[in-house]
Amino acid sequence: MLPNSVDYILLDEAALQKRVQELADQISADYAGIRNEDFMLIGVLKGAFIFMADLTRRLTVPHRMDFIALSTYADTAQATGAVRLIMDTRADVAGRHVLLVEDILDTGYTLAYLQRLFAARGPASLRTCVLLSKPERRKVPVPVDYLGFTIPDVWVVGYGLDFADRFRTLPYIAALKPQAYQK
Amino acid sequence: MSMYDDIEKILISEEELQARIAELGDEMNAFYTDADRPVLVCILKGAFMFLADLTRHLKFRHELDFMVVSSYGRSTKSSGIVRILLDLETNIQDRNVIIVEDIVDTGRTLSYILRHFQARHPASVRICSLLNKPSRREVEIPVDFYGFKVPDEFVVGYGLDYAEEYRNLPFIGVLKPAVYTM
Repeated sequence: MLPNSVDYILLDEAALQKRVQELADQISADYAGIRNEDFMLIGVLKGAFIFMADLTRRLTVPHRMDFIALSTYADTAQATGAVRLIMDTRADVAGRHVLLVEDILDTGYTLAYLQRLFAARGPASLRTCVLLSKPERRKVPVPVDYLGFTIPDVWVVGYGLDFADRFRTLPYIAALKPQAYQK
Repeated sequence: MSMYDDIEKILISEEELQARIAELGDEMNAFYTDADRPVLVCILKGAFMFLADLTRHLKFRHELDFMVVSSYGRSTKSSGIVRILLDLETNIQDRNVIIVEDIVDTGRTLSYILRHFQARHPASVRICSLLNKPSRREVEIPVDFYGFKVPDEFVVGYGLDYAEEYRNLPFIGVLKPAVYTM
């Protein structure tokens, strides 16, 4: 049974799990032979935590993981581009291979900020893994190395993504009814 | 695979973990309602994988928040007092809180976090831990929901690490003593 505000399921559990496995296989192949201390996955809270949990346990290459917390300055649905770093990574990324893990690429402001931030810290390499991309919404170009799905410009929830802190832990990705967010 | 070579035995398989977490989700579904709207507080990093699997089974309305704490070393060991690196985004006053942990061991740090939360006057605070190691307990702590009682062995995997390794194993394994007694 779907929650009231949910319009339809865009990506069901099976489709998500299959694609996450494919991404993990691709990443494991690309980073084959790497040492644990040299490879860092950095997950962006809160949205990426489910994707991170499913991706990391399917990787066959050793790696470490860290989380960062960000915030936008205004509590509005529209991203303004300004990003505030609430919690930085614990570990130093200099000389290490860094893979940023994010739930969704929308305007691109957040990921562009993160890519600049981590590139400036001298990693051995910097790549980006994103579960969902909404190309219609893009304001700034962001290179992505591993992409799960390209989706249309609809408000999606579940699998880490929320609407006003709701629906974040649905095991699938669903489109929200427009009347739920157009007020 | 060197990561697997360091594991002496699998204590809890992936299938056992997933089956028990589904049951745990049902226990919580029977306990909480939409009106309770609890905030699940995940203590990073250890509990993130458990949180990801547990919350996908929850039917009641809930919110998530994350907390990162850091040990003061020896003094944390005896007092449980930790440094809070990432505090809650949510104001928990009058809210129902569920602390989600990977393991309850001595209970000292959790007891400190519990007292810290109580000072903010939540409506309720309950603890949900994947693993429970009662043989190690040094302070009494109410573990309201837990997945498995485990013996006093060095466990890794499913979020639990040793020196930042083994966290991503999909099962709970016992580490070979040779790995940590060097």
